Amino acid sequence: MDELDETQLKNHVDSLKQQLQFNREKTSVSLPELTKWIEEKMNEDPFLNPDILKDNPWVESSKCVII
Amino acid sequence: MGEMEQMKKEAEALKTQIEAARKAAHDTDMASAASGVAPAPRVQLKTRRTLKGHLAKIYAMHWCTDNRLMVSASQDGKLLIWDSHTGNKVNAVPLKSSWVMTCAYAPSGNLVASGGLDNMCTVYNLKTPVIKTVKELDAHTGYLSCARFLSDTEILTSSGDTTCVLWDLETGKQKTVFLNHVGDCMCLSLSPDMNSFVSGACDSLAKLWDIRDGQCKQTFQGHTSDINAISFYPSGNAIITGSDDCTCKMYDIRADQEVISYQDAALNSGVTSLDLSASGRLIFAGYDDFNCNIWDSLKGEKVGVLSGHDNRVSCTGVPGDGMCVCTGSWDSFLKIWN
Repeated sequence: MDELDETQLKNHVDSLKQQLQFNREKTSVSLPELTKWIEEKMNEDPFLNPDILKDNPWVESSKCVII
Repeated sequence: MGEMEQMKKEAEALKTQIEAARKAAHDTDMASAASGVAPAPRVQLKTRRTLKGHLAKIYAMHWCTDNRLMVSASQDGKLLIWDSHTGNKVNAVPLKSSWVMTCAYAPSGNLVASGGLDNMCTVYNLKTPVIKTVKELDAHTGYLSCARFLSDTEILTSSGDTTCVLWDLETGKQKTVFLNHVGDCMCLSLSPDMNSFVSGACDSLAKLWDIRDGQCKQTFQGHTSDINAISFYPSGNAIITGSDDCTCKMYDIRADQEVISYQDAALNSGVTSLDLSASGRLIFAGYDDFNCNIWDSLKGEKVGVLSGHDNRVSCTGVPGDGMCVCTGSWDSFLKIWN
């Protein structure tokens, strides 16, 4: 804060007042919901659902043929 | 008491109140909330492609929304556009300034951007018969650390001058300047709904901004050194940060606080870059010690390591479909893993 001039310091204080007003959710609500969201998406996550990577664009899906 | 002293005292008092409000909202922790979740399995990935072509350190990479093309930036003075499936180079864009620190692909695939110690963000059109510079965005008074397109007409930048800026690409002018950090801004990440973004800075803080009204809505503290990497969770309700303090952290946006720290006593290298798997369950974090560590974001445990680079991992990126992870390094190579 020492490097701020008067106007910047005033803006900083105003911003802190605004940030204080934020309506904080309890972690007992937000964390279980976050956990649930991730768990539901894990099925579609190629790193966690090996079935998705059966079709891997970086792996040859058929053997090489000598022509 | 002088005005300045008065305001400093007021600022400290407000910060104390904010901390108290956070404590009051903290009625459970992540360990409890995730206690019913099975730990993520050990993740062992193979290098599927090693992209060779740059002649110097790679500083940045970004996937195209087609999940196939990507752009990389190196201090050899070039942007290279790669077809990640074949490993072929599709385009090479020579840069006016070789001191590049960031690159970005527009969601449309039409444009790419780069910037660095030249303090400018240069935007190129890839679709004209010869690649053309379409804009040079010149107003930052410090280096360009990160750039992200919202569309073909708007781009967000973060800078060593401590500001972030939203630019109008049609006029080349600044639309909004985001002022609040007191240290160099090092990274930014757009929210999935594109209404906000988060920035990380050398003041060890991450800040959440409203793109349209330009205001800093929330400030996340906890790191003890520069934040070099930041990413929104795919759900939009949390962010992950990576820092020179050798840790990554998850901040819960709704509860406005840090909820878990990803660290290991054996790890004493800074985090340079990070990205998340499609569900957000896995964090891929690049470190100064040449490795990329894979963390279980809910349990805080390391579940894998990507070893293969011969120098610092400077950039990490997962494409939109989550099918792989790309790491870029000061060893001049990019690797694709899955």
